[in-house]
Amino acid sequence: MKVQGCGNLIRSDIIRGHLDSIILRLFLEKDRYGYEISKEISLRTDNQFQIKEATLYAVFQRLEKKELIESYVGSVSQGGKRKYYRITMLGKAYLSEMVTEWKELKEIIDLFLEGLK
Amino acid sequence: MKKLKNHVDELFKDIPEGEQKIAIKQEVLENLEEKVWDLIERGKEEEDAINKAIVDFGDIEEFKKEFGVNQSEKQTVKKNMTKINLGYSIWGSSLIIALFVFINFYYTPENIWFVYPTFAVLWWPLTMYFKLQRAK
Repeated sequence: MKVQGCGNLIRSDIIRGHLDSIILRLFLEKDRYGYEISKEISLRTDNQFQIKEATLYAVFQRLEKKELIESYVGSVSQGGKRKYYRITMLGKAYLSEMVTEWKELKEIIDLFLEGLK
Repeated sequence: MKKLKNHVDELFKDIPEGEQKIAIKQEVLENLEEKVWDLIERGKEEEDAINKAIVDFGDIEEFKKEFGVNQSEKQTVKKNMTKINLGYSIWGSSLIIALFVFINFYYTPENIWFVYPTFAVLWWPLTMYFKLQRAK
């Protein structure tokens, strides 16, 4: 996994802990397939964060095991018989919990790091 | 595209065979192919595009961990080995002890000494039994 910020390589383990949330968020918008997710992440972060496919499938595997997402084979009208994923009710609940947690976490970190040069 | 398939085969070679593996390989390959087409469309040579897709894929180790491949797999292999080791040591030591008993009673029946080497040899299966228990 490669994360670039301000020209430096940021340690990726911080973002790693939030990958589940990031990917669930993308599934919340609509059903997607694997490559679409990695494309979307690169696009939205302006290539600052590119997820490795190996990581991506590991996350899919984990989320599916936890029943936060489920997969199905897409129809041709959707653009081919690909494996699509959709978020489950449990996944939505989990995501909103993660959002709350992130807000709290961000406040705490900001207490210490905000405004410093 | 053949290269891509070979690479995916290579990546997944340690993952146990099964329906799940076939499904995931299929999914990974399809997505990689799409990525390659995308890159070609953006003006890359096919060769470059395939290489980039492969490099971007990253390390499969992480994926294996998620699959629970490594640990459980290795442990069962090891466990089977300790069982075989124990069996081998029991058969081996009984043969050696039998040999001692035979020599003892055939050549020096008036002097019972086979007990001493028997105790020494019994360490072997005992150790193997200990290893088996520890592996559990």
